[in-house]
Amino acid sequence: MTTIEQTVEIKRTSIRSARAIERRRLFLWLVPPLAWFTIFMLIPYATLLYTSLGHVDDMRFIPGLSLDNFVRVFTVDPYLSVIIKSARIGLMTAVFSSIVAYPLAFYLAFHVRTQRLKFLIYLLVIVPWWASYLVKAYAWKTILGSGGILNVGMQSLGLVHEPVRLFLYNEFSVDMTLTYIFTPFAVLSIYAQLERVPTSLIEAARNLGADGWMIFRRIILPISVPGVVAGAIITFSLAFGDFVAPVLVGGPDSVMISNVVINLLGVAFDWPMAAAIGLVIISLGLLLISASGWLEERTQTRF
Amino acid sequence: MTTGIELRNLRKLFEGHGHASWAVDGVDMTIGAGKFVTLLGPSGCGKTTTLRMIAGLEIPTSGQILRDGQDITDQPVTDRDMRMVFQDFALFPNMTIQDNVAFGLRVKSKRGKYTEPQIQQRVAEFLDLVHLKDHAYKKPHQLSGGQKQRVSLARALVTDPKVVLFDEPLGSLDANLRKIMQLELIRLHRELGKTFVYVTHDQDEAMAMSDAIAVMSQGKVMQFGTPREIYDRPANRYVASFIGHAHIVDATVDSKQADSLTVRLGNGDRVGVRGKADAAPGSAVGLMLRAEDLTFTDTAADAIGGKVVDSLYRGEYVEYVVALNGNSGVVHVHARTDLPQVAHGSTVALKVNPAKAHVVVH
Repeated sequence: MTTIEQTVEIKRTSIRSARAIERRRLFLWLVPPLAWFTIFMLIPYATLLYTSLGHVDDMRFIPGLSLDNFVRVFTVDPYLSVIIKSARIGLMTAVFSSIVAYPLAFYLAFHVRTQRLKFLIYLLVIVPWWASYLVKAYAWKTILGSGGILNVGMQSLGLVHEPVRLFLYNEFSVDMTLTYIFTPFAVLSIYAQLERVPTSLIEAARNLGADGWMIFRRIILPISVPGVVAGAIITFSLAFGDFVAPVLVGGPDSVMISNVVINLLGVAFDWPMAAAIGLVIISLGLLLISASGWLEERTQTRF
Repeated sequence: MTTGIELRNLRKLFEGHGHASWAVDGVDMTIGAGKFVTLLGPSGCGKTTTLRMIAGLEIPTSGQILRDGQDITDQPVTDRDMRMVFQDFALFPNMTIQDNVAFGLRVKSKRGKYTEPQIQQRVAEFLDLVHLKDHAYKKPHQLSGGQKQRVSLARALVTDPKVVLFDEPLGSLDANLRKIMQLELIRLHRELGKTFVYVTHDQDEAMAMSDAIAVMSQGKVMQFGTPREIYDRPANRYVASFIGHAHIVDATVDSKQADSLTVRLGNGDRVGVRGKADAAPGSAVGLMLRAEDLTFTDTAADAIGGKVVDSLYRGEYVEYVVALNGNSGVVHVHARTDLPQVAHGSTVALKVNPAKAHVVVH
């Protein structure tokens, strides 16, 4: 007959061995994600860092441990100014996308009654993504150019006599094109947030005598803020890193940071500098995502 | 001039997926000012739709809604001075409890009715009324279900409406909390003297709280009366079987006296029923027998015979299932627990309380 102490001891040992088996199993489960993380995240970033610390001499990469390239990002023109300009274009894209997307998302969430129509509009928002990015960016040339729809239309209405050249080949046309291309992301993000607002909230507000504007300002808008923030972050990031729109519709001075990196990798053959810029941008990105994560968390309404 | 709310032949058609049906199909009702009136029925009977039409959240397909004699059928929801308490509370999640309660006052304050200090004071007063003054600065998600419902109650009452509408407000609360909230609602109704229109599918809740109950089924009011009338004198088989543990046994009117009648069951047993019934001798009726109105008796005269087929010990009483002789129906009998247990299969005689037995014609 076993005493209570013996029983407890047997239980303890079996719990210990069960835990050991658990640990071994856990390790097996962890191998695939760890391998994925190493191959696709750690190694590329390490390579990037390794490259950025060296320099190129006579078309040959010399490894090193120098921070010179990072200093150059912030001191040598035009790197910093191009980063700032890219950020400005990203910001304008985010702002314009939110402004364009909000009414559509609002309409989709609150005014489309039938599921079928909702799906149709949803599809119309996504469908442009089936077309090539290049085609869509190029299309803006035919809208904004001197022989484009906008100019021809204005001329035939007698508003202007000469084609207006202000529309194309400048920062504004880059903003417009990027806004057009990335707005669907803002629509989906804002819509997802607006969908969470229960109908009964609006009914309760109406029942208490609130008009449409008050319901929007006091209830719907505050609840939708995190969706707007999330959408703005996505559109900002996508626009910030873009390199096609500036080439197609941008002017001679609308070079963005990705174009600079492409040049450094190609014509200039300065991979270390390109790597340094890449790391700076990634760091900025991390900072931005953390900040927006914090902002989203703070503004998120809990139901 | 009639006071209160009057519904005249109110109808509402719901259309969807190729077919249409009447959610509310001709409701006529007068809800007296200051009364606690409950719309009772199973889900889909049209009670909530009726309430939402009173509130102005649904537009009637036809019919009229009158308020103190005035037609308000086309009045927008924002202008009707009726506050609704929703089943899911519908608190504004982005606002503090205080701002939630103040919302209705701030809407009015735009029209210059209240100053901000007055709003603060009034909100504090009503949060106190529902015992929530310590939670003024919390957000709704930090409160329990019962607290949320009290906030929604305060939010409705703070604007001093004459009518408060309740859409299954206790539906999402647990049984204990529901009992407490029932008492709270009765207290508020008594203290504030407002008209309460209440929707529920819970008959106990309806019986305990209401001045009058409208039992609804398939968009129609089956009976509108005091809880006592509905329980003791149901107008038809539907109401009788919906409220309480009533069993309806098919019977024929045997003879009719001035204020009583005798009915004959399928097996020939006769039962005397007090009161009047709109049925001629020889016509088929339903005899409503409630478990608490039946007692076992030793004398076979003036009793109905049957056999015990089941018994359930309920703690408060023993519930016997008795099959009446000649296959003429099954009734339940509640017996005191201190009486000797009646064995399964025993032949028993049941005495019916003639004051409580009731005949339904339809």
